[in-house]
Amino acid sequence: MLNNLSKPTKNKQKDRTPIKKVKPKMVIIYTLLILGLFVVMYPFAFMIMNSFKTGPEIMHQPNAFPTELSFRGYIGVFQTLNIPRLFANTIFVAGSITLLNTIFASMVAYGIVKCDIPEKEILTKIILASMMIPGILLLIPTYMMMYNWEWVNTYRVLIIPAAISAYNIFLMMQFMTQIEDAYLEAARIDGSSEWLVFWKVVLPMAKPALSTVAILTFMGAWNDFFGPLLYIRDESLMTLQLALFKFQSSIPGENLEQIWAATTLITLPVVIVFFFMQKNFIKAFTGVGLK
Amino acid sequence: MRGRKLKLSNKQKWGYFFISPFILFFAVFQVYPIFLAFKNSFQKINLLEPEKAQFVGFENWVTAATDELFWKSVFNIFYNQIIFITLTFVIGLTFALLLKEITVAGSLFRTIYFLPVITSITVAMVLFNFVSSPQGPLQSLMMKWEIIKEPVFWRFSKWLPMPILAIFNSWKWFGVQMIIFLGGLASINQNVYEAADIDGAGWFKKLFKITLPLLKPQIIFVLTMNIINGLQMFTEVFMNFDLLGGPYNSGLTPVMYLYAKGFDKMQMGSAAAIGLLLALLIYTLTMLQMKILNSNKEEAIK
Repeated sequence: MLNNLSKPTKNKQKDRTPIKKVKPKMVIIYTLLILGLFVVMYPFAFMIMNSFKTGPEIMHQPNAFPTELSFRGYIGVFQTLNIPRLFANTIFVAGSITLLNTIFASMVAYGIVKCDIPEKEILTKIILASMMIPGILLLIPTYMMMYNWEWVNTYRVLIIPAAISAYNIFLMMQFMTQIEDAYLEAARIDGSSEWLVFWKVVLPMAKPALSTVAILTFMGAWNDFFGPLLYIRDESLMTLQLALFKFQSSIPGENLEQIWAATTLITLPVVIVFFFMQKNFIKAFTGVGLK
Repeated sequence: MRGRKLKLSNKQKWGYFFISPFILFFAVFQVYPIFLAFKNSFQKINLLEPEKAQFVGFENWVTAATDELFWKSVFNIFYNQIIFITLTFVIGLTFALLLKEITVAGSLFRTIYFLPVITSITVAMVLFNFVSSPQGPLQSLMMKWEIIKEPVFWRFSKWLPMPILAIFNSWKWFGVQMIIFLGGLASINQNVYEAADIDGAGWFKKLFKITLPLLKPQIIFVLTMNIINGLQMFTEVFMNFDLLGGPYNSGLTPVMYLYAKGFDKMQMGSAAAIGLLLALLIYTLTMLQMKILNSNKEEAIK
């Protein structure tokens, strides 16, 4: 009912501006937007087009449509790279990091916001400060630690240091402050322990915030190149990003069609997931901006 | 009273349990490495033989601070970031303003503009490499239209790598800033604009007097994140150049220099000093920028 009532008034406001005045403005706006669309889409179109071309055709007719559909690139990639394995590796690493982050970030945020510990203020400051620590400062010492602990070339080194992020805790804290204490008190009076309150009451309420954390973390972990580059040596442990880099630098100039097929294969699943979940993705990023 | 106090302490016990993962993480993966970085920066140390580490005093710091290549890399990244930040800011804001005006197909545009953001840097870099290469489609089109006379090998040129990477990066990242600005624009009360319309304010006046001041929280956020992340550019240059950034070092960034020092030359001590110096720089800049933007905010309130 409310929606029905509010819609007409909205339209009325728009109708107030004369239609003739709006039209040329709209033409300009849509022209600019479509222009932007072309610029953004062009490299992707180029990539998909080239993945169906043969090598010489990519070199000599970079802008043309493929004259015939060639699957040589795709066949070649599946022969040289263990694509299912690479996907499985990347999903495992990124999935573990995401799972751990959602749990830890909400636990810590709950502890700080809802458990009345006296160190609340200091902890908040520490979390904000640790968001400001540039990764580069920690690079060399962390590598030495990992090397000494013999964590290099294992998944531990990718997952454990990435299991908590101050950034995610901060996002969860912002959400937790919006949850009314009355809900928690009610559960406490019913005799629930803090863990149960957290697990049964707070976590289900925090779903929107959790999905934000999950999306941002998964995207970051999926696209991470630097971590695997530093720490992973074995081909069987490689992630997609690292494999693509090695693949590209191992065949400069030749087998062009394979490179294009590989990039298409790596990008397509992400794009498909994105199109299904785009509202969540975009919400995740909007939430970040609204401090 | 006493009963309540007891209950609270139970809650607090749980509180400490809940925050313990962060404390552990903070101590092991942040405080300890920073301490190690300080220690290493005063040592001559090789990764493979840490027991042979020698104390060398401020030698690494002096070397880093007087190293021309390091400062060249700092210059490069500033050169890159000034162009990148301006470009993404303008493009992100423009498209946010455009999208705010339309009612049809808005979410389609938003979704597609966001595609480069979700693409991994490695894939995006492969795309970009071919698109921008001398035989690539962009340059062949530009030759056909006679914008350029001969193919440009921008990777080997003295001044081109940084602006070209900045343009590429704004292609990749403007979507995030657009979305953040769009969120900010949506939260601005429309009455303010109506009041301005009545006063007869023009489009630009409204942009500078209303929209931009009210977007300040988003602008501060975007700029802070850009400084912290932007100065740490690595993959883009690593995939395009040799470890010293091409013939004129024009593609060298501080992180790549640090990588070369630490992992190629195995001079961990000197790399640690470079890391600390750079962190100091990033920290100073962030603080400075926050101070400037926040002082403006106070003035605006007055």
